[in-house]
Amino acid sequence: MAKYILRRIVYMLITLIIIATATFFLMKLLPGSPFSSIGAKLTEEQEAILLEKYGLDEPLPVQYAKYMVNMAQGDLGVSFQYNNRPVTDIILDRLGPSAHLGAQALIIGTILGIILGMIAAIRHNTWVDYSSNILAVIGISIPSFVFAGLLQYYFAVKWQIFPPSFWEGPIYTVLPTIALMIFPMAVCARFMRTEMLEVLGSDYIELARAKGVKSTSIMFKHAMRNALIPVITVLGPMTVSLMTGTLVIEQIFAVPGLGEQFVRSINENDYPVIMGTTMLFSVLFISIILIVDLLYGLIDPRIRVSGGKD
Amino acid sequence: MKRRNWLLLLSAMMLALLLVACSDNGDDTNTDADTDANQETTEGEEKVLRIASTSDIPTMDPIMAEDNVSFQYIDSVYEGLYRVAPEGEIVSGIAIKEETEVSEDGKTYTFHLREDATWENGEPVTAQDFVYAWQRAINPDNASYYANALMSGVVKNASEIYNGEMAVEELGVSASDDYTFVVELEVAVPYFESFAAFPTFMPLNQEFVEEQGEDFALAPENMLTNGPFKFESWQTEAGWNLAKNEDYWDAENVALDSINVKVIKEADTALSNYEVGELDRVTLSGSQVNANATHPDFKSLSETSVFWMKMNQNSPTAGEYMQNHNFRMALSKAFNKQAYIDVVYGNDSEPVNFFVPEGFVEHPETEEDFQTGSDVLAYDVETAQEYWETAKEELGFDEITLRFLSGDTDVAKQISEFMKTELEASLEGLTIEPENMPWNRQLEIMRDQEYELAVSGWGPDYKDAISFIDLWITDGENNDVGYSNEEYDNLVNAAKTELALDPVARFEAMQEAEKIALEDAAIAPIMQRKTSVLAKPYVKGMDSLNPFGNHYSFKYVDIQK
Repeated sequence: MAKYILRRIVYMLITLIIIATATFFLMKLLPGSPFSSIGAKLTEEQEAILLEKYGLDEPLPVQYAKYMVNMAQGDLGVSFQYNNRPVTDIILDRLGPSAHLGAQALIIGTILGIILGMIAAIRHNTWVDYSSNILAVIGISIPSFVFAGLLQYYFAVKWQIFPPSFWEGPIYTVLPTIALMIFPMAVCARFMRTEMLEVLGSDYIELARAKGVKSTSIMFKHAMRNALIPVITVLGPMTVSLMTGTLVIEQIFAVPGLGEQFVRSINENDYPVIMGTTMLFSVLFISIILIVDLLYGLIDPRIRVSGGKD
Repeated sequence: MKRRNWLLLLSAMMLALLLVACSDNGDDTNTDADTDANQETTEGEEKVLRIASTSDIPTMDPIMAEDNVSFQYIDSVYEGLYRVAPEGEIVSGIAIKEETEVSEDGKTYTFHLREDATWENGEPVTAQDFVYAWQRAINPDNASYYANALMSGVVKNASEIYNGEMAVEELGVSASDDYTFVVELEVAVPYFESFAAFPTFMPLNQEFVEEQGEDFALAPENMLTNGPFKFESWQTEAGWNLAKNEDYWDAENVALDSINVKVIKEADTALSNYEVGELDRVTLSGSQVNANATHPDFKSLSETSVFWMKMNQNSPTAGEYMQNHNFRMALSKAFNKQAYIDVVYGNDSEPVNFFVPEGFVEHPETEEDFQTGSDVLAYDVETAQEYWETAKEELGFDEITLRFLSGDTDVAKQISEFMKTELEASLEGLTIEPENMPWNRQLEIMRDQEYELAVSGWGPDYKDAISFIDLWITDGENNDVGYSNEEYDNLVNAAKTELALDPVARFEAMQEAEKIALEDAAIAPIMQRKTSVLAKPYVKGMDSLNPFGNHYSFKYVDIQK
């Protein structure tokens, strides 16, 4: 097991280096320069001075080598759009709210989704199943900003139960969390329902029933655990995207999160921030994949990562 | 049983993560509470202005600022030689305006500083602080855009220093004593007093700035300011609080106790916050303007930004057509400017036929507005068609396709679609092909002058018509339409040189120059923009926008409930 994890970590590092390299060269292909936001007013000499200041006048391979060495030492450089602010500070400052919001939405959404899916499967083909299905379809097909807008309008502006926006305490997280959790909830409910139905029809459940195992025990101990596999597969990537911020929800509720930063840094050719956010995303993504792989084994003993060799 | 514990452990870990995130947030709320507690209450209820900003502050380093948000808050916490008061009037700041001496040739300004102005730490604000700040601004190592744009060719030796040919100490600024600041100019610059109020030229405390090094201005504790307000807190992308600076020399005339700014990027969210009473004032955008036009709190404020359509005479593809006067006249008069505003902005911006904004500068003697109006380039389809037919004969074409460069945002696409519909309907044989590009790419194309048609605008950096008039001088830095007229050039050069000390003749020369450029249809003016806001009636002193630099002067804003 330890060997397996070690090997995976080595692979992860190699993947990260490849991602960093590809991002570095691809982002240099973006049109424009980091200093064109102040527009046509900048003369060519001024731009030359700025390029020199940030080391952008050097040949690409040199820039690349410097960047990789600095990154290995944990220095992601300074932002262009926010004069001199270190990229690590920008990311860390803004990761907090995004991660908080994402985690809250994910946990509540997943739990509700699983419950909803299970109930639907147990009460298969009844009104409970149908309404849960309708809910799931709505949750998947309607984009979250529509919910966000509706929630904000009714709960904040019209009835004034919750504050319309900002990030100043638990009460402020309620509306964005609800808006954000609907999608994971719907996805989980759907997967859970389908899988549960399949699992419930399988031989070993029949056997358990025949042996006279209590039905709650069948549900939770045998059926749910196996049905969780596909749910966990989709949850992995979703965790990353939810926790690194969702542009629209953050903008609507004025949450100072990371989602918008990534988009804007690309628009403004803020190279260090593009690299920083991409690397953060990649690290999280790759780690989550590893965790998911390990979780498979824990949840379903039929899948064991260590295999026969070790 | 054992395996279920694993699941429990996992949930526990996730919960822990949640709590960690929560406690981070808890800290944020604490700082807010502290801020409130620190504010001194002078007369009963606290006067707090609560507003929104569409972005975080890109920089609080005065010399690096180049956007309105930075300008706004630098102006609030710093004070330069002069300051801009409501209605665009330039008034005394650290320098006493009435005592300023200007040499006869207009090239030497001697500013006398007040002796009661201090930094937050109690040290006096001296002439050396200005010398240091101005030298720091022009230092090429700092690559300040505005220092070069405003100082080069104006302040003595500035361009040589910026190009690395001279040491910063050679800059034409000096302190003859602690409270006398002398500036030597290359040429007489009639609008130099605007510079004295511009954010780039704020004084800085050398010892403090050098001690901070790279951290300077990154957070409230990395700033040392001297203005009417000071930073209490600043949370990246969330917002910031300013509190009145009780030690400011003119503190008795600062009405607000604090300013509370929240970053809100979504216009509808800002409006919702206004409606529930979380904000005192909100800027409207897009369809919000029309939807709220009858709201009792609705106001429209004139900007000094003017927009026009550019017809590129240097275009490698359509240049030969664009160089034809009749061709340009036809294009300029063929689209409905009011409809443009209705479709694109939906607010009460003014359709205009000129390019130096209205309500910007006045005649030095009669105080009449620079802008007397013009209808040479007014919307008039019939006349446009006459010009068009003449152009067809002169250039020998029946059908032509022109490319219209625009951005890839919704608004930019509306602009190109609108222009296509209007121009094609008015001018027979014309096809407009919209080219929608990301902003950065668009700027590159404009700079390389490879576009054919495009819409663009200009806002001034100082209060003088030359900021606009200078745009279309032959081979000028910002002249990307390829316009060239000797008579125009002569008038503009005269205004910049020999007429510098004759305000009336200079003013009239610039008016004449604008007339020539309009008759030549150098560009096709569209509109002078307005900003629409909703503001609670108790917010006073924010009823007009400053003509340049920061939009408002919070020093003069009041809350009268």
